[in-house]
Amino acid sequence: MVLFSIPFNEITESFGAAVSCLSTSHLTDEVIRRSKRMILDTLGVGLLGTSTPVFNTVLQCSQQALENSKVWGRPGLSLPPQYAAFVNGVAVHSMDFDDTWHPATHPSGAVLPAVLALAETLPVKPSGLELLLAFNVGIEVQGRLLRFSKEAHNIPKRFHPPAVVGVMGSAAATAKLLGLPAAQSIAALAIACSSAGAPMANAATQTKPLHMGNAARGGLEATRLALLSLEGNTQILDLESGFGAFYPDYVPHPLAEVTPTSHYRWVLEDQNIAQKRFPAHLGMHWVADAAIEARAKFLDKCPNADLSQIKKITLRVPTSRYVDCPLPVSEHQARHSFQFNCCTALLDGEVTIETFSKSHMNRSALKEMLLKVQLENPQDNHSSFEKMYCEIAVETTQGEMFTARCNTFYGHWRKPLSHEDLVRKFRANASTVLSAEVVEGIIYTVDHLDTNQDCSMLWSYMHFNKHMMHRDECRSSQCNASLLNRSTFE
Amino acid sequence: INVCTQRSTRYVSAISAARGLHKSALDVAERPAPEETVTSSFGRFIQSVQPRHLSPTVLQRSKRMVLDSIGVGLLGSTTDVFELALQHCQHMYAPDDVSFVYGRQGMKLSPTLAAFVNGVAAHSMDFDDTWHPATHPSGAVLPALLAISDMLHNNSKPSGLDFLTAFNVGIEIQGRLMRFSNEAQNIPKRFHPPSVVGTLGSAAACARLLSLDRSQCSNALAIAASLAGAPMANAATQSKPLHIGNASRLGLEAALLASRGLEASPLVLDAVPGVAGFSAFYEDYAPHPISSLEEDEHSFLIETQDIAFKRFPAHLGMHWIADATAVVHKTLVGLKGGSISPNLVQDILLRVPLSKYINRPFPETEHQARHSFQFNACTALLDGEVTVQSFQPEALLRPELHALLSRVRLEHPHDNTANFNIMYGEVEVTLVSGDVLRGRCDTFYGHWRNPLSQESLQKKFRSNAGAVLSNERVERLIEAVEGLDHLDDCKPVLAQLQ
Repeated sequence: MVLFSIPFNEITESFGAAVSCLSTSHLTDEVIRRSKRMILDTLGVGLLGTSTPVFNTVLQCSQQALENSKVWGRPGLSLPPQYAAFVNGVAVHSMDFDDTWHPATHPSGAVLPAVLALAETLPVKPSGLELLLAFNVGIEVQGRLLRFSKEAHNIPKRFHPPAVVGVMGSAAATAKLLGLPAAQSIAALAIACSSAGAPMANAATQTKPLHMGNAARGGLEATRLALLSLEGNTQILDLESGFGAFYPDYVPHPLAEVTPTSHYRWVLEDQNIAQKRFPAHLGMHWVADAAIEARAKFLDKCPNADLSQIKKITLRVPTSRYVDCPLPVSEHQARHSFQFNCCTALLDGEVTIETFSKSHMNRSALKEMLLKVQLENPQDNHSSFEKMYCEIAVETTQGEMFTARCNTFYGHWRKPLSHEDLVRKFRANASTVLSAEVVEGIIYTVDHLDTNQDCSMLWSYMHFNKHMMHRDECRSSQCNASLLNRSTFE
Repeated sequence: INVCTQRSTRYVSAISAARGLHKSALDVAERPAPEETVTSSFGRFIQSVQPRHLSPTVLQRSKRMVLDSIGVGLLGSTTDVFELALQHCQHMYAPDDVSFVYGRQGMKLSPTLAAFVNGVAAHSMDFDDTWHPATHPSGAVLPALLAISDMLHNNSKPSGLDFLTAFNVGIEIQGRLMRFSNEAQNIPKRFHPPSVVGTLGSAAACARLLSLDRSQCSNALAIAASLAGAPMANAATQSKPLHIGNASRLGLEAALLASRGLEASPLVLDAVPGVAGFSAFYEDYAPHPISSLEEDEHSFLIETQDIAFKRFPAHLGMHWIADATAVVHKTLVGLKGGSISPNLVQDILLRVPLSKYINRPFPETEHQARHSFQFNACTALLDGEVTVQSFQPEALLRPELHALLSRVRLEHPHDNTANFNIMYGEVEVTLVSGDVLRGRCDTFYGHWRNPLSQESLQKKFRSNAGAVLSNERVERLIEAVEGLDHLDDCKPVLAQLQ
């Protein structure tokens, strides 16, 4: 007889157990409140994103006839759930307008599209609370995984975090929604891990949004494969050759045990999220707020001043190669350019969705000002969304100097958007695509998500588009040209 | 800007456009030559390499690879993991279900899903080819190319030579990429190479077959980079075959996305400090551009570095130890006659390179068994060989095998490097009687230094393909692949697989 011992999978097993044991009773008020804000914001940016070229590209690529999950902003169009999750995930990240967390990642875009797409296909629809639970499991797993590496606490250099932890979050959330037992949850995580990882170099390109789409899709696919009994490495989170492959310093810890009556300490409870005020990389928000302040001081002193009197602009920012772009050419580059966002804020007093349109980008006044910007990387300015700051010094031809500093921009987790401003952002985004009635309907539904037994109207609402007829109605008239609705930013 | 409405049938008409040589030549002339980066050199290479660049050696070797890959794919279509992946894809459903599925006559899936399941089939038993530096190149490339070929209109199927060119582009790109890192020379520890280079190889091959322009080729590689990379931990599990399936599928997707105009980083293969591109997957990364085809004669890597074909479905490292142990088995049979009884054996010492994921004293599943020095040694000692049947449940559970397994020790000599080009396998069996029998293998039969003869390769193919196809089809396939470079179109190959 042969005896052999099976090694004890501490960490991975604890994840599987947590994913399957967490229940609605563990959701606290604060967690519910914060996650509803995240959901609202994500839906808004997703709807806005359905009018981008990249979204249309991936949609065409994914179109298939057997459809059970709705595509946002495309009435009558549905796709198999993975592809719906994919395209909707791309929409969410298409303009870099979605939420950001610490350690750095964009957590909601990887989870929400997958959870909604999957929920739609279930014969018995989940309640709002069950939906919230699955969503939070997906966020939580991401937060926990990020804390296994010190490197993860800094602005990333190697792998784009949504592609690393996002796919794991999507797998966890969808496994939770299906009520998978712990062993299958582990399999979903392991399978998802083989789809993780995309290099940073594709940030600031048109492909970046696909990182989010693929994270959502990959996690959902992993769960479906796990449901069909596919297995991976049961110690995937314990091993350096497993999830540890994505970090040079990987030190995992098991999750705390979850019992039906225990209190669970969610990461979201202790670490809030940042929601953006304009569609650009998070680092740009410090720059914009500092520049707006400097501009105010300038105009205060010289009310009729001409901004071309500015001779030199010095920006003190953390070192981060992929957002140092002196002369951006594409909108994607512009969203990842300290210099561009600084100059726009100085010129216009704000950075908005329109800022990244071709006409706004091509303004000669803007282009001239870009040439005057100099970046400095002070030692004490850490490349971390928790610690960074932005200092701006504007020198005029008159020899005057206006400085300002932003430590915490409005919208950062230390200074979160007010409920009114969050809803205002949602309305502005959603109403580019939805009628006022539907916009209010979504606001109401998300606000009451935890008390709603039937949340299926949520994805029904997402399926409207005030500029388009339902696809079936479309066949009789020639209206394909309206598929690309860029009137808001061209 | 209506970027998208123009692209509805772009990739189908791209082939016919290429046939109209004047137009495509004009396209190239109108676009200014991009500043030469490593990434753009790759894009340029993929777009400009022609069939005439293929030497006879390259043709011969790549046809062998195609044959072997189809065979292992057909055999692999009988596995559980394949069935699982297939069900998964059928549930996902595909309206443009035009591409064949290995071993499922009449069944069709969309091109990307067909590439996925057929790729899974190819790697499902770890029976597919291995190269140096280490990866399994063909399984990532061939399924995607076959899927595209099925997708193209009957009148615009690629010629055999076009097909072979695209195939070799896919292999070549993989070889080039691996040479950018010293780490890649050794048995991998972090990322499973097919999921890293295989994805880009598939993207390159598909871009070539679809006749994309050079900037689209570069973008295809860059998009694929964001779809690459799976950790080693899933090797020796049921998920490993998906690494190849996904490499094939995602490379194809990347090429299709690029053909629709999706753009990604133009520097993805270059080493840019502070922003990782493809370099994200390696600790040490030093890329070089592929030289222009106008200036130099291009030499395909497969010309100077041949490939290994496996004789039995297990990790390459097992082949050294199996051959070494087979020698001992033969001696033992000569000494004692008849079949081997574990009672004769006191101790089995294996001298092998250090590699955690193939050191498994008591494998529990077939996947683990394929990645176990100990298992393969004991099987070879008992049976004189390792075969497809060695990994079936009955064989895994044999009591005499378990008895031998408990007597195995491993040693990792300093001079036995974990590298498929220089490793060796040594076995020392101490009998109860006190006799010590030794066997050593430096180069197993099937390794690139001692390649399978054409007869042996065809024998392997017949055995594999014959598990699911009629003899007639098997022979026709052998013939069609053998004459691939002379076929006007590749229909003769596709027809036998439908």
